[in-house]
Amino acid sequence: MYAWIWRHLPGPVAVRVGIAAVLVAGAVALLMFVVFPWLEPVLPFNNVTAE
Amino acid sequence: MGTVEDARRGAGRIYGALTGPEVPSPRPRSRSAGPDRVRTIVRTAGEILITLGVVVLLFVVYEVYVTDVISAGKQQDATEALDDQWQTTEPDQERVDHFDGLQPGEGFAKMYIPAFGTDFHFTIVEGTSDKALEIGPGHYLDTPYPGQPGNFAVAGHRVGKGAPFNDLDLLTSCDAIIVESRNAWYIYRVLPMKDEAGRWEQVKQDKPRCNVTGSQGRAQQVEPLKGEYTDTHGMEIVRPSEGAVIADVPHKPNAKVNKADQVALLTLTTCHPKFSDRQRLIVHATLVDQWAKNPDQPDSRPAELKEG
Repeated sequence: MYAWIWRHLPGPVAVRVGIAAVLVAGAVALLMFVVFPWLEPVLPFNNVTAE
Repeated sequence: MGTVEDARRGAGRIYGALTGPEVPSPRPRSRSAGPDRVRTIVRTAGEILITLGVVVLLFVVYEVYVTDVISAGKQQDATEALDDQWQTTEPDQERVDHFDGLQPGEGFAKMYIPAFGTDFHFTIVEGTSDKALEIGPGHYLDTPYPGQPGNFAVAGHRVGKGAPFNDLDLLTSCDAIIVESRNAWYIYRVLPMKDEAGRWEQVKQDKPRCNVTGSQGRAQQVEPLKGEYTDTHGMEIVRPSEGAVIADVPHKPNAKVNKADQVALLTLTTCHPKFSDRQRLIVHATLVDQWAKNPDQPDSRPAELKEG
């Protein structure tokens, strides 16, 4: 999967490394700011109130 | 599935070696085109599993560190808004607190727990929704406010989101929990623990904090509660469904005690054990002292803040 992505990145190695870093940063940002905030209330880790 | 394929290929090789090269392989096609495809499948599966592992680790980082950073900003905004409001509005003529018309998530008081360090302070916000608790400790709607008879109940996160109540289990009897409002200071002290209540006179001897003369000259006595309150101790761990811990008389939502006769309690709730919502950790404290701020000395602060 990652080898396939690497083969499809354009340009010389330096450019590919740059693009790969941007892709990784984008994936991490998507997780941190969209997926996790949505997921977190569903998971049983942090309920602090007594009902 | 990769393992099964590998085993088959291995078995084929042994078979071939034993019977000599002239015997055709049972699966000639899989020997030429198969390994590449199988390798791709196995490798992709491995990559997906490693990726999922990294995502789980990232979630832990998010939960423990990233939410802290986000909440620290929100808490700071709430504190600044509250300071601003306290400085710009005229104090009440009689210097009595009115806590009406609060919006959900709006800060209305500050909490200090010197046992957690003299710099431990959080702005308490109105409401216990997820949104409010991201800002700071949240006041349960429909419970009394600081200083009032009944149970002033506050929930806070134990892990992440600023984790105001991370060390709540470390509180001991008579530790001060100080609440500052626009007009007054309220000194609460943690009630005797369940195992201390029976031998309180003896415990009290060893704990100077249980018999303090406050900065206003009044004795701050902590005693086990009596009557309807005999089940109310300094700390307890309960099931999440035990909502009665925040009742005016904890555990006895139907107890008939006149409002004027009710003890002014402070109850803190958080999750227990850490990283779990299986139980709730509850701390009960009782109001031992309170005084109105002196407008001539706006910077005078209670000596209890330095107890540490």
